[in-house]
Amino acid sequence: MAELLEVAHMDLFRGETQVLWDISLSIAPGERVAILGSNGAGKSSFLAAVTAGIPPAAGEIRFNGQSLVGKRPHEVTGLGIALVPEGRRVYKDMSVRENLEMGAFPKNARGRLKETLGHVVQLFPILGQRQDQPAGTLSGGEQQMLAIGRALMSRPRLLLVDELSLGLAPMITKSIYRTLSELGSDLTILLVEQNVEQALNFSQRACILESGRITRSGSSAGLLQDADIRRAYLGL
Amino acid sequence: MLAISVMNGLVIGVIYALAALGVSLVVGIMNVVNFAHGELYILAGYFSYLFASALGMNFIAAMLIALALVFLLGIVIEVTLIRPTYGNDMYSLILTFILSIVLQNAYLLIFGPYPNKPPLWVKGAADVFGLFLYGNQRLAALIAGVAVIAVVFFIIKKTWFGRIIRATSQDREMAELNGVDTTRLNMLSFGLGCALAAAAGVILTPVFPVTPTAGVPVALTAFVVVVLGGMGSMWGCVVGGLLLGLVENLGAAFISTGYKNVFGFIILILVLLIRPSGLFGRAKV
Repeated sequence: MAELLEVAHMDLFRGETQVLWDISLSIAPGERVAILGSNGAGKSSFLAAVTAGIPPAAGEIRFNGQSLVGKRPHEVTGLGIALVPEGRRVYKDMSVRENLEMGAFPKNARGRLKETLGHVVQLFPILGQRQDQPAGTLSGGEQQMLAIGRALMSRPRLLLVDELSLGLAPMITKSIYRTLSELGSDLTILLVEQNVEQALNFSQRACILESGRITRSGSSAGLLQDADIRRAYLGL
Repeated sequence: MLAISVMNGLVIGVIYALAALGVSLVVGIMNVVNFAHGELYILAGYFSYLFASALGMNFIAAMLIALALVFLLGIVIEVTLIRPTYGNDMYSLILTFILSIVLQNAYLLIFGPYPNKPPLWVKGAADVFGLFLYGNQRLAALIAGVAVIAVVFFIIKKTWFGRIIRATSQDREMAELNGVDTTRLNMLSFGLGCALAAAAGVILTPVFPVTPTAGVPVALTAFVVVVLGGMGSMWGCVVGGLLLGLVENLGAAFISTGYKNVFGFIILILVLLIRPSGLFGRAKV
């Protein structure tokens, strides 16, 4: 099967500083993949490259066979990639409903706004109950649900989730992961996480990023059993 | 005296509010302060004078054409002068300041230093609540100003364009990730900001004629209103504009005409002392 996302030999700089070295990663349609690593390993930079926030210095990024290098962020979104950003970044002064509607701004999603909205509210019923409230009044977990809902509103083929568990209680993180795992296999999910255990449980495949380089990759079940990983990341 | 001053204050206050909405929109989206805002206000006055008085067009058609032309000019200014300066707010500040001086001198060359006035929309005066007689033109200006503000509010609160404007002014990067082409949005909102200055211009110039430098106090007041009302707040623009218009006129009537322009700044200082982020502003954390 053709790969949905293909990153090949990518180097990335933030300003003068190189943050990623020779990154290659392919994701097939329907896969759940996790990128793990500690703070500052370059995980968010990787997502910034895919969403065209930072142009790579070398290498290639392809989505569905089409190169993303040189595209602008709104064009990448239009192709079917949606990001749940680190820190959620909901529009705090706008209502929950308006936040979700903003997610459906790309042209191919706008026409089916009502249908998608119904689907998202079914996934996260709390968003339906709070739809007229300003998003800034939601709790952290609810804001995370809103950020995911907003991303889903664009009917993406690839969902990128940055640090889902950050600042959330373990129970809430767990329940959001459960909801994500209920999503159909027509949606591909790439996860970036510090919370290694949750991410490995959720994903089928994972790679580990250390100081800007991929040092390990393999099946999530295998990595979860690996003694080095358990010692370094799970404290076992 | 009191009632008439209040009326005068409301008329000019609505115009201030309109001009301030234009400034606020552009600051919110692009973080650019357009120092030529007042000159575009004046330009719309000159256009409507030119089309209606000199070319004999219907005054409504003249006003609409003036609005459209200033909107297009705003887009041209954005693309040629502002766009190359993205990321450095100081350059756009200086460039629009230069533009304002160039425009003032161009008006002086073309139209001369004399006041010019588009024709009145309506003649005569009306009895207001049996209190006093008030010029119909001023009443019409008040109604037109309120109507334009209502349209702006509708657009910002209820349409897709308004939604992306609010989203972009809250989190520009996130709006891009939601599919907003912010370069295009910059262009359109700058044009719209200029068109709001133009709307203020075409509405007010039949009452207060245009001279080459008459835009300076209007733009200054618009900046004051934006800060007074609180950055990024639309209601702040409306309340701040009306407040300033009222204070100026009441102060002029009951204290001294000579200090008319000082009253606004006194109010500004008082408000900022008590609420540093403005009347409706959100305190920055």
